[in-house]
Amino acid sequence: MLPSGAVAVEHVWKRFRSDRRKQRRAKDLFERLGQRASGAAKASPWRWVLKDIDFTAEPGESIGLVGVNGSGKSTLLKIISGVMFPHSGRVRTGGRVGALIEVVSGIHPDLSGRENIAVYGSLLGLSRRDITRRFDEIVAFAELEDAIDRKVKFYSSGMRMRIGFAIAAFLEPEVLIVDEVLAVGDASFQQKCLERMREVLQSGTTLILVSHDLAAVGAIATRGLWLNDGRLAADGTIDEVLGEYRQEIEKHAEERAHVRGEVLLTDLHVEGPDGALPTTNELCTISCTAHVAEERTVSLFIGVSQGAATPIFVLRHDTRLEAGATNLRLEMPHLPLPAGGYFLWFAAYLGSSWKHELSPWQPLGSMQVVGSHIERVPRAIVRLSPMFVEARWSHDG
Amino acid sequence: MGKVDTASRWGNVNDEAALEEPPEHLRYRRALHFRAAMRELWADRVVVLSLTERELKARYSQTVLGFAWALLAPVTLMIVFSVFLRRVTSIDTEGVAYPIFSYVGLLPWTFFQGAVSTGGTSLISNTALLNKVYAPREVFPLASIATRLVDSACATLALFALFAIYTQAPAATSYWAIPLLLILLAFTTAVTLFVSAATVYLRDLRHALPLILQLGLFVSPIAYGVENVAARWRTLYVGLNPIAAVIDGLRRSVLYGDAPNALYTSIAAGSSAVLLVGAYVAFKQMETGFADVA
Repeated sequence: MLPSGAVAVEHVWKRFRSDRRKQRRAKDLFERLGQRASGAAKASPWRWVLKDIDFTAEPGESIGLVGVNGSGKSTLLKIISGVMFPHSGRVRTGGRVGALIEVVSGIHPDLSGRENIAVYGSLLGLSRRDITRRFDEIVAFAELEDAIDRKVKFYSSGMRMRIGFAIAAFLEPEVLIVDEVLAVGDASFQQKCLERMREVLQSGTTLILVSHDLAAVGAIATRGLWLNDGRLAADGTIDEVLGEYRQEIEKHAEERAHVRGEVLLTDLHVEGPDGALPTTNELCTISCTAHVAEERTVSLFIGVSQGAATPIFVLRHDTRLEAGATNLRLEMPHLPLPAGGYFLWFAAYLGSSWKHELSPWQPLGSMQVVGSHIERVPRAIVRLSPMFVEARWSHDG
Repeated sequence: MGKVDTASRWGNVNDEAALEEPPEHLRYRRALHFRAAMRELWADRVVVLSLTERELKARYSQTVLGFAWALLAPVTLMIVFSVFLRRVTSIDTEGVAYPIFSYVGLLPWTFFQGAVSTGGTSLISNTALLNKVYAPREVFPLASIATRLVDSACATLALFALFAIYTQAPAATSYWAIPLLLILLAFTTAVTLFVSAATVYLRDLRHALPLILQLGLFVSPIAYGVENVAARWRTLYVGLNPIAAVIDGLRRSVLYGDAPNALYTSIAAGSSAVLLVGAYVAFKQMETGFADVA
């Protein structure tokens, strides 16, 4: 028996039929018979989506599962929660597995909110007693006090989504699976969900979280798993794994990016003090060469991001570029970034009105920063932006 | 917090080379632990109840007649049989009013037909849930059966009305109805479980089912009695169609004050039990692929 809250995923393999059609038709049968008769070998119709996944989650651990779309994250979660069965290998769990998912698709439109809570609560594993006991809390969580006896089909889409999520939020399983919930609801509802997750975590629940919001994953999870094309590409502390994963996706972004526009930046070079690696809170110099075909008054924008589309900060430079090449130098006396991998972006606009785009927002290159690590509150769920703040502590007396 | 120990059988794979296919000894096999499965189902009985409640509430919401619909289907058929079928064929009801005779046949049939048609599609109409929430999958077909049980209980009220109209009382041997209805329940559950699982893989069944069930109405002794079937075929007939034995037994015990035919009843009970176990095992085997194709 596994200790309560542990999850052992043992050499799990899973495959799906690669032909998209889910139904087999009589026509296919005849085709297969024909191929067999003519002795033609057919390419395997199977596609492996999980290959030899093997890891163990200790009780109380919080694990962030990352990977690009189609890497097998959701399939793995389904196998852990018991909804899907593996092709090979097995999954063992100590205690109940609960999934924090939206059940909008399962909410019945012809029933009232109250009736839906009873049905879905029991489906998700809450006992009748739990539902009665926590009913008011669930309703308050979903902010549906006034609408609870109304049929769900008269709810707004936001209300529907909140009710689905609120029921799931009150599960108290030993293992909690969370798939991309941070995309649910408006900002204040998201905050509430995070708050609720924090409560559940504090009671010692094991957490397995999937999200494309790497900042959130980094803040919540302590251990990272990176799924790449169905294989476990990395397993380690969340910072290590996120670092590797970011490098990989940024490498891809770099490969995909072909520099375009009327203003081109080349020969990018980033360095820290005395030619060392860029270092937290130290001087950082970015140098590059700008090319324009004819003389232009431009506004250059250079931004820094970390594995996400939103930049951490953007710097602007208004200047006049002569036709041909110009060497540019950007100095930041105190680089406000903690250690990690970052990505540089750039865009150029004509003049100061910014109406005419010369070069669209595009990736420029990557840089590695060394120095202090980002601080975070243990087991608390807070989204952290990767930035360094110079601060001093003191004690009185 | 101790390191979790994994059995050596699972840990022996050569990690050096990345495998392209799983080694055969790791192949996942569904082990069916009958008692564990039953315990799980029992623990989730509240889910079956909730789903039943949902189906009942949702089905008759915004209808004017509400639960009366559960009554209308068998009553309409009874009237059709009484008015038209009696004109063209002669059926010996041994002194019982034909409407009562046919209604006693229609009640079990309506239950079976309703359970199989809604239960048979219960898995494919709940795919959104099946793909997200874990519960033993048989809760969905079982909830459909439970829903139809409630409907049939409503429809039974019409039988009492018929007794009153024709000033006849149910016979003292009516207690035989209990084992007979259990046979009916077992057979219905067997067929519903199997059909619901098979429909996930073979969606043609969804279209074929209404047709097959319609034929069943005439293949079962509802409008006529078992006596209308040639004597040498009767044993095979009730073995293949336990509903025939149930209907015959119900008529004998409730209408004629007789015991059900021992041979027919035991054949029906035996075949229903075998079918139920077989259907359950088949359901559990097919269950492993539901989420892949649903």
